[in-house]
Amino acid sequence: MDVTPRTAPTLEPVAPRPARGKRGLVIGLVLVVLLGATGFLLIKVVGDASLYYYNADEAVAKKAQLGDHRFRIQGTYVGTSTDEPDGSIEFHIAFNGTRVAVDHSGSEPALFKPGVPVVLEGRWSDRGTTFLSDRIEVKHGEDYRAKHPDRVPSDQP
Amino acid sequence: MTGTTSSRGTRVLGALTLAGMAALLLFALVLSPQDEVQGEAVRMLYVHVPTAIVAFTAFFVTVAGSIVYLWKRSEWWDITAHASAEIGAVLLGATLVSGMLWGRVSWGVYWTWDARLTTTALLFVFVLGYLAVRRLPMERDRRSRLAAVVGLLLGPTTIVCHYATTWWRTLHQGPTITRLNPEIDGIMLFTLMLGMVVFALLYAWLLIHRFRVLWLEHRVEDLGLDAALAERRSEAEDGGTLVPSP
Repeated sequence: MDVTPRTAPTLEPVAPRPARGKRGLVIGLVLVVLLGATGFLLIKVVGDASLYYYNADEAVAKKAQLGDHRFRIQGTYVGTSTDEPDGSIEFHIAFNGTRVAVDHSGSEPALFKPGVPVVLEGRWSDRGTTFLSDRIEVKHGEDYRAKHPDRVPSDQP
Repeated sequence: MTGTTSSRGTRVLGALTLAGMAALLLFALVLSPQDEVQGEAVRMLYVHVPTAIVAFTAFFVTVAGSIVYLWKRSEWWDITAHASAEIGAVLLGATLVSGMLWGRVSWGVYWTWDARLTTTALLFVFVLGYLAVRRLPMERDRRSRLAAVVGLLLGPTTIVCHYATTWWRTLHQGPTITRLNPEIDGIMLFTLMLGMVVFALLYAWLLIHRFRVLWLEHRVEDLGLDAALAERRSEAEDGGTLVPSP
């Protein structure tokens, strides 16, 4: 049996101290995690996210400025693609009257097909004639239409 | 004390929610058609958009509760803000998961750092931070004040997240139903609206139950405080005598 005297005058100054220290540590940790995550995401918003892609005509106009930097380019996949012996595919995208040749290495999304807007990630080739892509993202629109088996696809005459 | 947080009203609300969920499953998986471009993947629309819209609404309730708490120190609004943020966090989590699955099929990637996805992640971090503050080991009034200040951050973040597709170029598609002439098939639109109603009912149902549980938690906390005060008083009255520890 513990017979330690427990009186108000001796307990008052001693008891709260460890609680305050632990509490401060928990509050500090929560704030550090919150501020760290917020900072990281804000940098992402201000940096990458605010200019997610250049449209094809803008990328062509800024070709000298973009040099060999990686960036994203947006346009509609036009025509058909050609399979190359090295496993890559070649196709064209177009936006606002500007057409860009693309050499893509890597996988293609299931919805990648002619007439679909795409965002490609990569860089201009050394001669600046072709966009060398290694990632395709399909950019689908805001419209939702029911699929009808009898409907004639819009890219056919 | 009845030993339950349910009442006749919540039982009716719960029954309506479950019936609505069954109807939503029927329309979303069977009666609504495939999309011309996305095929079967369009069915994610009926979960992804409603959970996002209801989560945003939940965060605005938290903001309103935080403002009223800071203004009038109302416990009712303090608990409402807390409960709404918890349910909003779960719904936003569902939005993120359904969005990633939908994105993998339609975009070809689970995640990308465009403005909409980044601000959604930011919103999720804020609400988790808010809920962490809610569990800080400190005196309740101080904790509620701190949480209310953090809760205010959910307002502007939700607005920026909502308008991200309008203000910046994003991979995420722009708004459909808030446009003047939305192009969406009739039964798809009906299913989407049904999803909104059903998830709003689910939110209301969970909010009432969660509010009642939190209210009881406060009362238990008060009882603990009263007991501690009574113990301290009795100790002070017995000052100078030897009191054995339990």
